[in-house]
Amino acid sequence: MPATVASATTSSAPAPSWRRRLFGEHPSAWAFILPSTVLVLGMNLIPMGWAFLLSFKASDLVTPGHWVGMANYRALGHDPNFRSAVGHTLLYSALYVPLSVGGGLAVASMLNRRIRFVGIYRTAIFVPFIMSAAAEGVLFSFVLDPQYGVANSAMHGLGIARQGFLQDPAQALYVLVGIGLWGGLGFCVIVFLAALQDIPKELMEAAAIDGARRWVVFRKIVLPALRPVLIFLLVWQTLDALQLFDLVYATTQGGPLGATTVVVYYVYEQAFQFFHAGYGSAVAYVLALAMFAVGLLRLLGGRVQRWRRERALAPGGAR
Amino acid sequence: MSAVTAPAAPAPPARSARRRSLRDLLPFDPWHLVLAPLALAFALPLIWLFVSSFMSDAQINRFPPTILPDSLHVTGYDFVIGHALFPRWFLNSTLVSLVTVTSNLVLCSLAAYAFARMRFRGSNVVFGLMMATLVVPFQLTMIPTFLLMKSLGLIDSLGALMVPGLVSAFGIFLLRQFFVSLPRELEEAARIDGCSRLGVLVKVVLPLAKPALTTLAVLTFLTTWNDLTWPLIAISSDHNYTLQLGLTSFQGQHHKEWAAIMAGDVITSVPVLVAFLLAQRTFIQSLTSSAIKG
Amino acid sequence: MRRWLIIAALLCTAIVAAGCGGGSDNGGTSANGVVTLKFWPGQNDIPKQALDTLVARFNATHPHIHISSDSGGVLADEMLTKVTAALASGSYPDIAYIYGSDLANLARSSKVLDLTDTVNRPSFGWNEFWPAERQAATVDGKVRAIPALTDNLAVIYNPKLFDQAGLPYPKADWTWDDYRAIARKLTNAATGTFGAAWPGAGGEDTTWRLWPMLWQQGGDILAPDGKKAAFDSPQGVGALTLVNQMATVDKSIYVDPDPNSEHMQQLFVNGKLGMLIGGPWSLPDMVAAHEKYGVVQMPGYNGDHTTIAGPDNWVIFDNGGARTQAAITFVTWLTDPAQDVVWDRATQSLPLRRTTLASPAYKAYAKTIVGMDLFAKNLVNARARPTIGTYPQISHAVGEAIVGSLLGRTKPADGLKQAEQSANSALSGAPY
Repeated sequence: MPATVASATTSSAPAPSWRRRLFGEHPSAWAFILPSTVLVLGMNLIPMGWAFLLSFKASDLVTPGHWVGMANYRALGHDPNFRSAVGHTLLYSALYVPLSVGGGLAVASMLNRRIRFVGIYRTAIFVPFIMSAAAEGVLFSFVLDPQYGVANSAMHGLGIARQGFLQDPAQALYVLVGIGLWGGLGFCVIVFLAALQDIPKELMEAAAIDGARRWVVFRKIVLPALRPVLIFLLVWQTLDALQLFDLVYATTQGGPLGATTVVVYYVYEQAFQFFHAGYGSAVAYVLALAMFAVGLLRLLGGRVQRWRRERALAPGGAR
Repeated sequence: MSAVTAPAAPAPPARSARRRSLRDLLPFDPWHLVLAPLALAFALPLIWLFVSSFMSDAQINRFPPTILPDSLHVTGYDFVIGHALFPRWFLNSTLVSLVTVTSNLVLCSLAAYAFARMRFRGSNVVFGLMMATLVVPFQLTMIPTFLLMKSLGLIDSLGALMVPGLVSAFGIFLLRQFFVSLPRELEEAARIDGCSRLGVLVKVVLPLAKPALTTLAVLTFLTTWNDLTWPLIAISSDHNYTLQLGLTSFQGQHHKEWAAIMAGDVITSVPVLVAFLLAQRTFIQSLTSSAIKG
Repeated sequence: MRRWLIIAALLCTAIVAAGCGGGSDNGGTSANGVVTLKFWPGQNDIPKQALDTLVARFNATHPHIHISSDSGGVLADEMLTKVTAALASGSYPDIAYIYGSDLANLARSSKVLDLTDTVNRPSFGWNEFWPAERQAATVDGKVRAIPALTDNLAVIYNPKLFDQAGLPYPKADWTWDDYRAIARKLTNAATGTFGAAWPGAGGEDTTWRLWPMLWQQGGDILAPDGKKAAFDSPQGVGALTLVNQMATVDKSIYVDPDPNSEHMQQLFVNGKLGMLIGGPWSLPDMVAAHEKYGVVQMPGYNGDHTTIAGPDNWVIFDNGGARTQAAITFVTWLTDPAQDVVWDRATQSLPLRRTTLASPAYKAYAKTIVGMDLFAKNLVNARARPTIGTYPQISHAVGEAIVGSLLGRTKPADGLKQAEQSANSALSGAPY
């Protein structure tokens, strides 16, 4: 340890050590990331590579399989089931992500006050998050049974007609969004709540004294402070939504009439029910590439933003 | 409630006037009107699960279902807890989860700090590669992972359950995100005082990172505790089952032991609930260091 | 700093310790010539207990073979995934319980033993097994498994509801029109009672109930050469139209949303369903609930009451000569009448062999459960589904057509036409 301190503080050292030349400014950095890198890349890149190669084969996982080149990917282009799976996944994500993040923020704001029972409310809203998808499936298949579920009995009492819920192809996906929100909102709430409580009260009070309206305070003080948490939740919830599987497996199994077949479920179906593992792998990689592309775009967008900002702040630059 | 109120402030009179009257009308804070039904909506299904776990099999099987048990039947719980291997399964799950959580906290902090604060060649490439590992679904990678574990000789042991989860790329992302948002002054002050990089991480950064660390801990615990697919593939011997895997043995092909399943679901939820309640204290009441602000 | 080192050391120790706690007695031959076998029966609860007893009996009476007590950690539902992973890794069990519909695909692996010569030995008694079982164990003309469990479908009815509606109980020669009329009379929207039920999740349980209706009219699932689908025929459309009418016009069918078809079972046990098309596995719940019930064979077209059987199989994997021989010995012993009765009683399934059906032990058991006799006798009438690798895709396609008709979303003829297109595409090798 003393050695690192010495090397870090002697910025005027005569010649950079071989270590410095090889590893850049912080030789200890590689020590920091080495175990993680080995584990993450080792445990993941090899399986991912295997799956990638599989996407170029016609394989049932039981026999060796043979090489078919781009045939699987070409077949994907004509597959109407794949297209609907993508559509369902996008629809689910487009609803789930904003609702869970936006809803989480709204509820967290409500909970960010000292009133009686706030601890109970907080716990009640979070507890569904800890249930496993299998348990959720059992639970809601009872509650939402079209004939005998509690939900329909309650609606009947309110004079609303019986709904098909998970058995109605037009409703099933939206019902899944609801169940997903029931299970996932609590997490967003807790994370936002922690971040909200981190905002120093003095700031909020100073703004209130200055006569700033609620909404302005929110935009100018709260949102910027929440930015890292907001980004984290958006990414997490998007990844979660795009890779939806457990809930579908535990409730509708892709039905009714394929209305809830999302991409990962389609992969599972192809690979483990129809024995077309190569095709399933191609489907998964198309999804992966799409997510990758989105991530890349965001990265580039961030770079462009930073570049623009640097230009603006540079001496002589317009402001 | 509002200990710190603004003095006779020039707040828009109409709005606060309306507000004051609503608050005066009700004996309690009006927010309860929103929060209570919301909390109830979230809690109701779980309450039903909890209540059902005390019903007998015959009662649960009643269709249309009944809401309240006619008497407390603990047969479900007896069945689950009384199973000879139940303590072993509980221990296995706990061990795997604790190891995974600890490992993640340690290794992800180290890596995230390096990515956040240290500049070194290849840092973007490595980070990018790690993030790229998040995009392929588990259904595809589980078989090659199985083959990998087999080559390491870990199949059918708790090691197979721990090793794939020791570090999560997502944990690194989460912590890096958080570290980047911390102001550098404190860290720089510590470095000037002669603290090593590791020392800065441990003594300065991590204490400030409690909310992020707790989030990571809870998420990791939850994912590992509830995981069913991977243990199903990787474990073959009864004494190596995790709790979730062991509970599936109550589901027959044509016959389910509902009371046991419900009791099992409640039992598996309890430790996570306890963990969360404990974590809440660090989560919610984390104080910012006043040394930086102001 | 030291704290971290200690934590890291503990972590490593924990992992190493956990890694060492692995692996049970793998199969193999020990020094004194005892062959140990890995057996994955995929059972739990009562069937598992029965198997444990049988395995103990076998181990005691066959000193040179030892069946390991570790059952693989997986139930039948997940067996396919686990076996696939096992085959991919080169470390697979000796015997596993495989669903009938999964055999054709698994059999593509050369590690699944070809048992044709074994079963054709006179001492094996292959002809004692029912035709449907033998068909379900045969892929491409070769026998690749030994039947493990067999069942079939019949109608279980609630006499109380019949009495309340003033209807006579169904007779053995009843027709599908009778079925429809009875269902209509038994349905009572006010009390939430249904006359009939059908699984609506779109899986195999939805599909396989249509096949007997097709066969009874002389139709079939596939063309004789097995290369094209044949269910989109007047017989198929007729059958599906009946179901469609019952569901949408009479509203006498309860469409079960549960993928395991649990709801309709529970409905029947609670006296809200008049007739349940089910198998012998449905009976224990009713016996436990002390509900009176009756069993009658399925309705028929033109006096044909063919029903469907869904046998599952014991698959033996190639782990070398000594182990395969031992495995064959064990499975043969398991299917002998003495053991078969124990198994049937535990799993609520039907006798695997004719000789079991005729044995006094079985007869005594069958008397204890009302209707078991009828299921067993009906085995001569039961046909099996085609054992081809693309059956899961065909089932999926037809399942969607049926669900569409049940929900009134697609016309039976249109649904079946589309299903036949998908099926033909799958049969020709396309992935979708």
